[in-house]
Amino acid sequence: MVRVKPLHQMLVVMRKELKDSLRDRRALFSIAFSIIVGPVLIGFMMNRIADRQRESEIVEIPVAGQQHAPAFVDWLRQQAGVSVIAGPPRPEQAVRDRLHDVVVVITDDYAEKFSSSRPATVRIVADTSRNAARPTLERVRRLMQRYSAEIGALRLISRGVSPAGVTPLKLEEIEISTAQQRAAQVLSFIPMFIILAAFVGGMSIATDSTAGERERGSLESLLVNPAPRMAIVAGKCIAAALIAMTAVVLTTTLSANIPRFLPLQDMGIRFRIGRDEFLGVLAAMLPMCLFSASLQAAVSTLARSFKEAQSYMGVLVLLPMLPGMISAVSTIGQEPWMYLVPVLGQHVLVMGVLGGRPEEWWAFVTAGLIAMLSAALLVRTMTTLFKIERIVFGR
Amino acid sequence: MIRVEGLRKRFGSVQAVDNVGFEAADGAITGILGPNGAGKTTTLRMLYGVMKPDAGQIHVDEVDGVATPQQAQERLGVLPDGFGLYPRLTAREHIRYFGELQGISGERLRDRTEELLQMLDMRAIADRRTGGFSHGERTKVAIARALVHGPRNVLLDEPTNGLDVMSTRAVRKIVRRLRESGHCVVFSSHVMQEVSALCDAIVVIARGRVVARGTPEELRRQTGHDNLEDAFVALAGVELMTEDQWSE
Repeated sequence: MVRVKPLHQMLVVMRKELKDSLRDRRALFSIAFSIIVGPVLIGFMMNRIADRQRESEIVEIPVAGQQHAPAFVDWLRQQAGVSVIAGPPRPEQAVRDRLHDVVVVITDDYAEKFSSSRPATVRIVADTSRNAARPTLERVRRLMQRYSAEIGALRLISRGVSPAGVTPLKLEEIEISTAQQRAAQVLSFIPMFIILAAFVGGMSIATDSTAGERERGSLESLLVNPAPRMAIVAGKCIAAALIAMTAVVLTTTLSANIPRFLPLQDMGIRFRIGRDEFLGVLAAMLPMCLFSASLQAAVSTLARSFKEAQSYMGVLVLLPMLPGMISAVSTIGQEPWMYLVPVLGQHVLVMGVLGGRPEEWWAFVTAGLIAMLSAALLVRTMTTLFKIERIVFGR
Repeated sequence: MIRVEGLRKRFGSVQAVDNVGFEAADGAITGILGPNGAGKTTTLRMLYGVMKPDAGQIHVDEVDGVATPQQAQERLGVLPDGFGLYPRLTAREHIRYFGELQGISGERLRDRTEELLQMLDMRAIADRRTGGFSHGERTKVAIARALVHGPRNVLLDEPTNGLDVMSTRAVRKIVRRLRESGHCVVFSSHVMQEVSALCDAIVVIARGRVVARGTPEELRRQTGHDNLEDAFVALAGVELMTEDQWSE
């Protein structure tokens, strides 16, 4: 009899599982779908932000009754990003019909009151229940207040009073949420989608080659072959990991091409996945694929049925989304201990690479080694599971 | 040659196999006969190394099947009960997969695959995916992949279960041919006619115990029944008739 090398047997199992799963058209379709949906979603969201920014750059303010306050209208025209147009004859109706977000109405007695230094009435007609109109309304209101304050100051000066005396508070608002930052927030989903691709990619092959193989009844036949369980288990895990890696490479490639279809430059956003960033992402992610695939295979082996395994996979998919979701509400720092936690470490690494501040090389090595070590432990656990009769023959 | 002595296996409170022993010779077909749930499958599973016996000895040729199950597996061709195939692989790929796991490769594997396809009369279906195969075709694939490494000893767990007449005949032909070429064939079944038509020696198992063994002729004599079916009922049924599945 020939002594068969376990390493060779592992490769035989791996090749067979790859061939088998690459013929599973339905699984491939769902993998492809989930790879594409992330980058496409990001592209869609970025486009929305770009559109909105373009809209809010120049605000058109319809002003009714311009003839009553030519100085005020001139002042408005001089403000950056403001263009004054003629107001509609029936301002309230126009806002109600959504012809305009905001209409400024200068009342008939404006000139008379203004020249006699009494408060002259300017109406701002707006519908505050409309979210889209709110930024414009806010901007118009601020312009009006500024004009009012400037005139007030001039009047005080002309009467020999310092305007500082009537301004007990000096408000300074610092606007944080620029369009760039909103866009950067959207781009921060990319690491999550890349990690998600690893989990989604390995999912179907990991369940199919373990719980599925048992349910089809082919596992017993397979185990009759004189191959160490370790070789069989490792072959299955590596096959799943290879598919997961392919999914990661594809998602990263798609994400790298996002800027081509989006006016990111117009928005002043520096987002580039060049060769270095691409390699950085892969260096962080590929070792994690071994971990995610082994985890999925081990959990599927524990499941009582194929169906049960699939529902566990649904829960496992939430795992890569955790760091992403947390970082959406609060910033995840970059503590060194994070590299010791598979998935979290990779999230931090990918964030760093895409943000243009890649971590030190030892961070990549540490996170990679931890991921591979965890994968090896999972393979060992699975090997033990494959020796338990209750698990091999189902319960 | 397969020799089993004092084999025991317990699942929880159920003693599935209780002191089973028999010997299956080369160039002979040994039938394991027993009602459903008698312990046939568990006995065979211990034989081909996927279950560990609580006690007892297994020898495949001269290899200790309890201490070194993998070496025993190299000498065994196995068709498990309720075997399954990979629906997306072709018949030929099934044979190749198991051949490679057994360490055969290259030209030897190609030749052996062709030989098996020829012998089992499956040339026409060799390159079709097994997903759409009939039960008979599936059984042939499973037998072919079990024999790919040319094992001396062949274990078939209820190979004709659920097969139509033509496929049953085909399987019997294969089994007889294996005997003619000197293989040791162990064949389990719960069907009387099957065993009496094929086997040189019969081991009757009921409730995990060997209740009788011998040639069909000896069994008839032992029980005083001319008809083997009556003999079987006399041997296995005494306890079963009262409470077990046999009466259902």
